[in-house]
Amino acid sequence: MLELAAYFALLSLVAVGGIAPVMPEMQRVVVEAKGWMEAEEFTQLFAVSQAAPGPNVLITSLIGWKVAGIAGALLALAAFCLPAAVLAWGVGSLWDRFRDAPWRKVTQRALVPVTVGLILAGGYVLATPAGLDWKNALIAGASAAALYLTKLNPLWILAGGAIAGAVLYS
Amino acid sequence: METEAAQQQAPHPPAGLGELFWGFFTIGARAFGGVLPWAHRVMVEERRWLAPAEFAEILALCQFLPGPNVGNMSIVLGRRWCGLPGALSAFLGLMALPFCWVLALAMLYAEHASNPVVRTVVTSVGVAAAGLFIGTALKLGRPLARKPAGVALVLACFAAVGLARVSLLAVLPVAAVLALLASRRGWL
Repeated sequence: MLELAAYFALLSLVAVGGIAPVMPEMQRVVVEAKGWMEAEEFTQLFAVSQAAPGPNVLITSLIGWKVAGIAGALLALAAFCLPAAVLAWGVGSLWDRFRDAPWRKVTQRALVPVTVGLILAGGYVLATPAGLDWKNALIAGASAAALYLTKLNPLWILAGGAIAGAVLYS
Repeated sequence: METEAAQQQAPHPPAGLGELFWGFFTIGARAFGGVLPWAHRVMVEERRWLAPAEFAEILALCQFLPGPNVGNMSIVLGRRWCGLPGALSAFLGLMALPFCWVLALAMLYAEHASNPVVRTVVTSVGVAAAGLFIGTALKLGRPLARKPAGVALVLACFAAVGLARVSLLAVLPVAAVLALLASRRGWL
């Protein structure tokens, strides 16, 4: 568990743009490197964290809970939030000074393709818990299209995924 | 001269730790389908802690920083208004209820996970949520579509992390250096 906390603390500092870009890495460590749970179970925890109200960083507390119970849940969430919070604390007061600095805009533009590539990777990894299969590809593709093309509330899209799953796999 | 109405309109910081905690608590409590819209609703529209432009600026800072965006926001604003106790109250207020909810939901699911139908449906919700990630990436990436360097970086990051499963800690330094070089040359 301490290993998990230390790793989350490290990820906290590279999680530029929130939790989404580090999701594929979390899955890799938790499922592939450490074998703490199956890929399908990871996708299910992800489902729970996305369907529940609140910040999506709470997936970290679910992973901690699976590995070490309630204490693990608290520790994992704290580990993922604390280093970033300390940084936010420190930088918050400096922001006015570098808000308009040219390097900030250069950095911000540079972050976009990296973040997009990582979020895509997260989507792909989480959508293929049992390898590529056409049913999951269909559900993920439809939900991506619904988000991209319509203004539907994401909760409806998740509900659609539940119905599609029940129908396709029955 | 400021009219009374204008004074009522002017944003004013929360009166104390209690208000700060409860404000963030209501953000967390209602955050179905994303926290950010509710953060805006509560802090800008309902409680008028911030002017819209201030909100946008704080958000830009928090998106620039690593870590959970709205979590960072609670730290930055809590600190600005009430120092360390403020940062803690805002952060705990934001996380308290969602933390309980997500664990309760996970426990409820664990109890029924032996049922194959439940398992299939929950996996499908996860797959749909993964699809939302893909949709989000497409939205964020749309401005890059005509920039070959941008597309190449997106595909390279995707292939390395998603397909080859290389550790992010190895990919990120390389990707960051390449992206910064491309950005400085105006390719992004």
